[in-house]
Amino acid sequence: MGGSVAGVTEVDFALIGHQESWRAAADVLAVLRGPERTPLPDDEIRDILPWLPPRAVCHVAIESLGGARARGLYIDSFIAPDRLADAYVRDNIARVRAAAAYAIKAGAKIVSLGGFSSILIEGNFDQLPQRRDTVFTTGNTLTVGFIVQGVRKMCAMEGRDLRRSTLLIVGATGDIGSGCARCLARDVRRVQLSARNVERLRRLAAELEAEGVEVEMATDPQRFSSEADVVICAASLASPSLLLGRLAPEAIICDAGYPKNLAPGTEMPRAKVFFGGLGQVMGGLTFTPDFHGVLNRHPFPDVVHGCLLEGMALALEHRFEPFSQGRGFITPERVEEMETIAARHGIYLAPLYNAEGPLESFSSTGDFALAVGGTNLGHTEMMRRIAGASPRLSGS
Amino acid sequence: METVPESLTDLKCALPAAFTSLSPGALIWQDVLAQAMTGELLAAMNYTSLADICDNPAEEADALEHAQGERGHAAAFAAEGRRIGVSVTNNVDARHWKRLRQAFLRCIAARDFIACLIVQEIMLESFAVASYARVGKVAPGSLGKTFAAIAAEEEEHIEHAMEILRAERALDEQSFDDKVYQLHLEVMTTLAEMLAKDCSHGHCEVCHGSCVKPALPDVRLSAAELRGASLHQYLKTLDKLGLPGEVTLTWVAQLPV
Repeated sequence: MGGSVAGVTEVDFALIGHQESWRAAADVLAVLRGPERTPLPDDEIRDILPWLPPRAVCHVAIESLGGARARGLYIDSFIAPDRLADAYVRDNIARVRAAAAYAIKAGAKIVSLGGFSSILIEGNFDQLPQRRDTVFTTGNTLTVGFIVQGVRKMCAMEGRDLRRSTLLIVGATGDIGSGCARCLARDVRRVQLSARNVERLRRLAAELEAEGVEVEMATDPQRFSSEADVVICAASLASPSLLLGRLAPEAIICDAGYPKNLAPGTEMPRAKVFFGGLGQVMGGLTFTPDFHGVLNRHPFPDVVHGCLLEGMALALEHRFEPFSQGRGFITPERVEEMETIAARHGIYLAPLYNAEGPLESFSSTGDFALAVGGTNLGHTEMMRRIAGASPRLSGS
Repeated sequence: METVPESLTDLKCALPAAFTSLSPGALIWQDVLAQAMTGELLAAMNYTSLADICDNPAEEADALEHAQGERGHAAAFAAEGRRIGVSVTNNVDARHWKRLRQAFLRCIAARDFIACLIVQEIMLESFAVASYARVGKVAPGSLGKTFAAIAAEEEEHIEHAMEILRAERALDEQSFDDKVYQLHLEVMTTLAEMLAKDCSHGHCEVCHGSCVKPALPDVRLSAAELRGASLHQYLKTLDKLGLPGEVTLTWVAQLPV
């Protein structure tokens, strides 16, 4: 039969995602069309994509460093890149539901919800279709783990002492923002929480203050009393200028939103921006057909969003359970547990980069440094710790 | 040129004697109706041909009944034309429609009942149901209601055929899917060219004057929307048949634009 993908076979996991730009969508369609056909013009892509029903785009296979293997599907919800705003929420939820139904029908044992898919459903899992043998995870726990690791690593690379930092979290009451707050609050001098919902802000602030953390909260990041020098942007912002005004000139800024659109602009030329929440597969990652560099558009090989990697790691571990569900349940202990599972299968924090390119070098032999507990560990040391009885990766 | 029985295509559409002026958009609806009417007449011809290869008298009667139903739809479109004061003509020999008919006749020549159902019910009717439903939402008054009602009737046709096709696929999935793909290459490629945003390869031979597509936004339609809705309906229909969605996505992605 024509077509480049064989029929659906037994799958361990499914990854639900969508393209974050029209360029990315064009690349996906170009692969599907094949090299012998002219790529679709941009205007045709914009016309066609919103009409495509959610469905699998390719098969994904992941291999653990220890030799374990898991097979899955990448299912694109085909949410149009310019339809992520509130006005399209109803349609987008319907698309995620349809993608979830596809995953269930395909027999996926665990489904990771990537990008807006998890944002749409993290607070409302009952919107998912009825299922018996399929579990869903937002993947937010591993995303938080990689964000926190990234912040520690960036601080180490820049010679910053996290303990003397003022940490601003934008989008602090979301699942990822609050998870980051819980993991890092006790390791910094002061925490600034910013979000739109005042009541949720109060609850999170009270929770952290009860643990002795110095907390400020505001719906407007401009209103904090001091400059933040470490920032986690866990909300998707139309413009990074929303953050400016109360940031230290050389602030470390983690873009943990989706799509990732923060860049050190002319207003803050010395800011150190990096893209957070990304992990790298060291064992092996294959797409059939070959979507390498198309579905994972990163300057390093086999880099994938943490939310998707969580489902793959759990599949490799044969732990088909809804590890991350709901909002506000991510704790340092859960993050550490998830990181340990991921690391056991060779899934680590990805080398850091931003819109301008890599912030560190990487070789295919895995010769790169990981920041763990404020300390840079070589890959060998990391492996030794993973093999040890009590791996502690987050340092939280 | 194929000899078409006059009883199938001879739907005269004289204007009312008292007609004096056209409503806004009437000339656009005239071309939309002409395409729809041509499609219905082609379907009537296809079902009539299908009746010739049916071994089972009940199937033959069913096919002839469908043919009559499609002719009724064509007559309804002609009547809607009269109502808004335009003459609705048809041309089953127009370039794209003729190719679609020829594809169907090859299935007839092979006495392949299943292939006939795939072409007519899965491919052509997906296009009809989706397009008519979109037109039904925006066309004014009686015109919109007629398109919506016929879309609903065509959808019932599809459901009936789906039972037969699902049973056939259950016998040998690979052979069935291969057959659908071969027919897809021929029929859906033609439909995709018909549904392209503009007729860059020449006049379709159904529209009265210049191509109607650029004018569709004047009646809150667009060629891109009709194409998108049609491909969506086609993919969902193939899903219901059980074909792997990842495979059919590739098929659709490879269609010409």
